[in-house]
Amino acid sequence: MRWVKSATHRFRSLFRKNIVESELDEELRFHLERQIAENVAAGMTAEEARRAAMREFGGIEKVKEECRGERRVNRLETLGADLRYGLRALRKSPGFAAVSVLTLALGIGANTAVFSMVNALLLHPYKFHDLDTLVRVWEDRGIDEGYDARRIAPADAEDLRGGTQVFESMTTFGWRNFNLSKEGNIQPVLACRVSANFFDVLGAAPAAGRLFTPSEEQAGLDQVAVVSHGMWQRRFGGDPQVIGKTVQLNGRSYTVIGIMPKDFDYPVPAELWVPLALTPTERAERAELNLQALARLKPGVSVAQARAALGNFSHQLEKEYAKTNAGRVTTILELRKELYLYTLPLFLLLQAAAGFVLMLACANLANLMFARMIGRQREIAVRAALGASRARLAQLFICETLMLSVVAGAVAILASFWSVSALRTSIPVNWTKWVPGWDRIQVDGNVLALGIFLALSIGVFFGLATVLHTGKVELNETLKDTGRGSMTRAKGRLRSALVVAQVMLALVLLVCAGLTIQGFVHLANVYQGFEPANVLRIEIALPEKEYRDSVKVANFYQQVLRGSAVLPGVRNAALVMNPPASNVDNETTFFSIEGRSVLKTSEQPSADLQIASPDYFAALKISLVDGRFFSDGDNRDAMRVAVISESMAARFWPRGDAVGRRIKLGALDSTEPWSTVVGVAGDVRQNWWNPVTRPVIYKPFLQSPERGMTILLRTASNPTSYVAPMREVIRQADSGIAMRGVNTLEEEVVESIAIVRIMGILMGVFGLVALALSSVGVYGVLSESVARRTREIGIRLALGAHPGDLMKLVLGQALKLTGIGLAIALPISFAVSRAMASLIFGIVSADFKVLLGFTGLLVIVALAAGYLPARRAMRMDPMTSLRYE
Amino acid sequence: MSKPTDLVQGTLDLLILKTVALEPMHGWAIAQRIRQVSGNVLQVNQGALYPALHRLEQQGWIQAEWGESENNRRAKYYALTRAGKKYLQKEEANWRRLSAAIGLVLKTV
Repeated sequence: MRWVKSATHRFRSLFRKNIVESELDEELRFHLERQIAENVAAGMTAEEARRAAMREFGGIEKVKEECRGERRVNRLETLGADLRYGLRALRKSPGFAAVSVLTLALGIGANTAVFSMVNALLLHPYKFHDLDTLVRVWEDRGIDEGYDARRIAPADAEDLRGGTQVFESMTTFGWRNFNLSKEGNIQPVLACRVSANFFDVLGAAPAAGRLFTPSEEQAGLDQVAVVSHGMWQRRFGGDPQVIGKTVQLNGRSYTVIGIMPKDFDYPVPAELWVPLALTPTERAERAELNLQALARLKPGVSVAQARAALGNFSHQLEKEYAKTNAGRVTTILELRKELYLYTLPLFLLLQAAAGFVLMLACANLANLMFARMIGRQREIAVRAALGASRARLAQLFICETLMLSVVAGAVAILASFWSVSALRTSIPVNWTKWVPGWDRIQVDGNVLALGIFLALSIGVFFGLATVLHTGKVELNETLKDTGRGSMTRAKGRLRSALVVAQVMLALVLLVCAGLTIQGFVHLANVYQGFEPANVLRIEIALPEKEYRDSVKVANFYQQVLRGSAVLPGVRNAALVMNPPASNVDNETTFFSIEGRSVLKTSEQPSADLQIASPDYFAALKISLVDGRFFSDGDNRDAMRVAVISESMAARFWPRGDAVGRRIKLGALDSTEPWSTVVGVAGDVRQNWWNPVTRPVIYKPFLQSPERGMTILLRTASNPTSYVAPMREVIRQADSGIAMRGVNTLEEEVVESIAIVRIMGILMGVFGLVALALSSVGVYGVLSESVARRTREIGIRLALGAHPGDLMKLVLGQALKLTGIGLAIALPISFAVSRAMASLIFGIVSADFKVLLGFTGLLVIVALAAGYLPARRAMRMDPMTSLRYE
Repeated sequence: MSKPTDLVQGTLDLLILKTVALEPMHGWAIAQRIRQVSGNVLQVNQGALYPALHRLEQQGWIQAEWGESENNRRAKYYALTRAGKKYLQKEEANWRRLSAAIGLVLKTV
């Protein structure tokens, strides 16, 4: 029961403060009066008795304070007082408060905004349980292949399923383009063929209906489909009765058996899932890597352990099936990381830049606090003289700085709600639909936590820093000082350190931002070697069943090309397998050169494979370097030919004699036919992330027709006006084929670099903020310290110093500090720009001009910061400056 | 006036508790009583007395009540609580043990 009493005491002390105070007063007064009475009784005079009693008692206020302290409510009570005091102090200097809140809000806001992206895309791209145990599995052929080439051979996958101890479960899947016909309308659907256990491995359950059973992996039973929430809404109007209905996909009827929940999005942006039904021959395929695979690691198995186990497994396969599996290594990558190979460095850069902005904001705030503290030295000294302890002062300062940072944090978080949704909607859906987690970019618990954490820690940090800083206040000195607010040597040093730090941070951030912006400007010309203007692109996916015969495929496309070529205003009509700026990697292939044998498979040269119709080069205005492009005569009956890219010619035939040589796909002893190189085409940059243009082999469409091709039309005028005529042309060739990915090539180029552009804009904003913050900061610190010497300058002038010498002295000091900052920052900036150039290859290149430009800019700011206040001081009448402050 | 003998930390609490164990007393009387009983050896520093009283009250060993003083003034009287009584017994025993031990050491060494 004791604690009840203590609690009531405490409560009473806290809320019935007046009563408690008057009681304390009365108690002590009684004691004194009693003592005085006693003293008088002992023979003292009234006056003597009072003095003796007082002396014996000691400081009444001190005793009272100690009694209050014993009641342990002190902290709480004073906290309230400190908060009130802090609020009042801030209200008295609204300029200081507004500037510091805004500066900090900017810094915190930059971090929460960027973190909301990092949080959604990098940390929580999928909502699957135990995301870290999910891995993508594929066979690495030892060539530099992109994301789109991470595939596995069906037979190898089958062996892998039972052959290792590291996977708890494994599943395979593959993309499939469907043409959905609905009431005479043909629409494209991007679907995924999946093994029956696909959803089990991911741990997903349907929102309605059921998922696939193993028996549905057989041809004939596989005409069932699971639809995504999005497709259910868009194409079935959210019809709750959709389960059991049939849809026409590529001319076959599929029964809808299930609907996935809204947050199931693997692999993005699939709208529909059908069973992966392979024929026994397809199942036994080992040469062709045509499936994708996904596995869940056994509990406790690390990615590195699994990689090692898979390495052994690959060796076994290599021994057993040397013909097909030589040089292949089965490898894995965390599902979390799979899509961020190219963008991860950009995100990290952004987060780092946001961190720098915050640091600059803090440096600026430190300046402001510092200036304010000098003005408050007397107040602090008075407080200390009246018995305030260090802890008590700390509490006061932390209250003040916390109030600033918490308000700043609140402003930043509120602003984030707006900025984050602006970020999310700033990129076209065509691009973002490929990004898992993009729709979940929002201010969630994690983002809030970061904002609050930053606000609180900055508040506490600055509070503590202020206390430490004022720790060595010389009471006597300060109180004697007539309020000039003097600077000790230690404080001068701190101030100098601030200037140096600010210059340093500013330069590093400015250089990063400058390089990124420069790279962003260059992005406009990142796609070189072709002209995207006035080109319409339309993708076509012919259904596998009807178009098994390659002649039929060729005929379809020939008819479409003929039909579109006669449309008025069409300059060229062409086909290509993978047009530039598609954000899809080219297929990569090994090839052999006649007369050059390789000793090891690892030395086998590789190149990107493109398939194009004769007019492709003319349609994109790709230059002819040597020989000729394809012609209509390069058909299935003619000699096999190939066109190679300029960089490929330069690498393998450096003497310029590529034309006329013969190459074949695959190894020397493969059954592929030899192709004669008939021409060399100018290099084309395929995707923005390709560091250099890659060697490309073009094969004529008629000699190797593919079901999935992109039609490119170069037109005389607005290409979008050809969409409707093209729909009719295609309908005439086959009424069941949908047009997909319809866009102008110019627009496609813009969309493909959308994410990089957003990053560029963000970096630009950060750069501007950095420029503003650092200019203001460097100027503020330097001009303050010069202004502080107004008296000194006055005295020197009065004593006959030459103004020119004085100016030199002041400017010299400003330059010295700036110089130290720059000297520290230059090597860091240089290293950072080198690192950026290697991380974000192709976009950013280390550039001395940027470095030198910003260095010069900071020197100018420093000079101005020294010159202006110095000139003011010198123009002042010596008498005035002596009385200054 | 001679400097009052410094009291061992914590001893003041014990002395106060023992003093108010007899009857409820106000602060001044407690100081007087301790001085008298100790034969003027123990002079309670009055600056320390009141914080100590408030601490003991806070801890629940004693409780305060306003009453009429010997010179007809309102005064704050402190009385031992039940918990305080137990605590005092324990502390007294501790003290005896400690002083006996010290005595032994002083005698034999």
